Amino acid sequence: MNEEVKNIMASVFKTRIENITDDLNQKNVTFWDSLRHLNLIIELEEKFGISFEPEEISEMTTFERVIFYITKKI
Amino acid sequence: MKYFIFRNYTVEPLFVNFDAGYSQYGDISVLDQEADIYLWFYQISPNPDPVSRGNEIDDFLRKIHYLIKQIPPTKDLYVFSLVDMFPFKWQNSDFSIEIKMFEFNNKIFELTKLYPNVRLIDLGDFVRDYPIDSIINWKYYFTSFTFLNPSLAKQFTIWFSKKSDAIQLKRKKCIILDLDNTLWGGVLGEDGIEGIKLGNSYPGNCFTEFQRYLVEASNNGIMLAICSKNNEADALVAIENNPYMILKMDHIVAHRINWENKPTNIKSLAQEMNIGLDSMVFFDDSPVERELVKQAIPMIEVPEFPTEPYNITPFFKDVLNCSFQIYKLTIEDKKKTSQYKENWKRSNFRSEYTSIDDYIKNLEIEIEIRSVDGFSISRASQMTQKTNQFNLTTKRYSESDINRFIKDGNTVLCASVKDKFGDNGISILTIITYDSSDKSAHIDLFLLSCRILGRGIENVFLNFVLNQIFLKGFKRVYASYVATGKNELAKEFYKNNCFIEVESKDAEVKYLKELNEEILIQSNFKINYA
Repeated sequence: MNEEVKNIMASVFKTRIENITDDLNQKNVTFWDSLRHLNLIIELEEKFGISFEPEEISEMTTFERVIFYITKKI
Repeated sequence: MKYFIFRNYTVEPLFVNFDAGYSQYGDISVLDQEADIYLWFYQISPNPDPVSRGNEIDDFLRKIHYLIKQIPPTKDLYVFSLVDMFPFKWQNSDFSIEIKMFEFNNKIFELTKLYPNVRLIDLGDFVRDYPIDSIINWKYYFTSFTFLNPSLAKQFTIWFSKKSDAIQLKRKKCIILDLDNTLWGGVLGEDGIEGIKLGNSYPGNCFTEFQRYLVEASNNGIMLAICSKNNEADALVAIENNPYMILKMDHIVAHRINWENKPTNIKSLAQEMNIGLDSMVFFDDSPVERELVKQAIPMIEVPEFPTEPYNITPFFKDVLNCSFQIYKLTIEDKKKTSQYKENWKRSNFRSEYTSIDDYIKNLEIEIEIRSVDGFSISRASQMTQKTNQFNLTTKRYSESDINRFIKDGNTVLCASVKDKFGDNGISILTIITYDSSDKSAHIDLFLLSCRILGRGIENVFLNFVLNQIFLKGFKRVYASYVATGKNELAKEFYKNNCFIEVESKDAEVKYLKELNEEILIQSNFKINYA
């Protein structure tokens, strides 16, 4: 699943897959802005057929936590 | 194409695939000068107070009026209509919001008549396809200020691209129809003229309804042709004499009813109608025929014709939505079927004459030349978009582009051509730009619609244009031919008209002609210049 999520992130962030590292953090990169964050959540919800709560969405600011909340739902 | 979007909600997820910039929420003070097209995408809030919702609409109108004055008339403003995505009433008898919205949409529609660069796009056309509770996603509304559900973004992108294609005139031209089990139910050869299924009861009523749509399509500038394996004489009798046939041969531009294979027939139809195979759509109930045509002619569009008669109407609506959308029809579009029929008469008439000169003389051709203005601009732009064969430079221009040429003092001339068989409407266009530094003129664009080809009109018109340039005091005329793979026909045009080749690079050949005196135009045509 990690690979699949990385692929989605790379495509939503319009960046290369190598840039989506395991320690990726929204704070440290410019390509992960708030608008793309919204697009990412939409893509993930659709791909995995899940729905995140607003509190979770605002928590999902690192690759690790993105994976954590997806795993929690499926 | 760069868009700039005026909005009062987050709409970015809907336009991720477009090159777009955005205003601040509700702001109209900043206008991105670089944009090619401006979009107005405002929605009224789900405010519980109907009076303040009404006030919002008034405010939208004031803003649009202001924007129209700010946006240069050479650039388009697409206005999305207002749709109530949150219908809610305190009293069932209160229709104030519906009426306000209707008035808003109607006022925009009136504005589109006053300002040709304002276009109205019916958002309801998109919204109607989805259940009302899926249109807004309240989670995203309250967390990101997003109105239209972002999970509909992909569908929205497809829908909006089609609407914008329709405004920019990229639609198909012709539908080719099979007969048995397509235009009527049953097989003519087995069931006979009275036995084919048409009329008021199922399944005949499905085919009758389909024919009503086809007739209306023909009235709206879509050309219809028949390609069918049948006995021609029987089929023609059935079409003209079965009392339930709504579609008549008058609606059909051309037909091939024989036992030849369909790809061959379709190619010869394209030739007769003088249109590209890529502007045709083929309807046939037989998957075998469809596959055969698809294989032989990959550029033709071949939709899956439904096997159940009751699905034909929805199927046809889908095809119309996908391939035949148009923002506004020109008079020429509406007359298309009769024009092609006149052409057919012309070519039959031709065989009665011994020499081509004799034939042309007897056509009594009249050419009416005038500068492009508000009445002809939509047709002018349309011709730059659609003309492929006799188009020297194949530059595609929007109405705004052409307006810019006119405003900058260039010569933009169009001409309509008529003869004893009928009026072809506006079918020639040229744009000449001037360089005062070396007193030279440049033919930026020169095209003729293919329906008037073969009569030497292009040469006469060119000489007329050269004389206009000469009278303006310009003595050198530059022109070029840019090969596109579709305009082979025009390759020798300038050479044949005594232009000298000066440069040849990639697909482009540049020509020059020095003008020493006015050219004496000898022709059998009557030329009027207004």
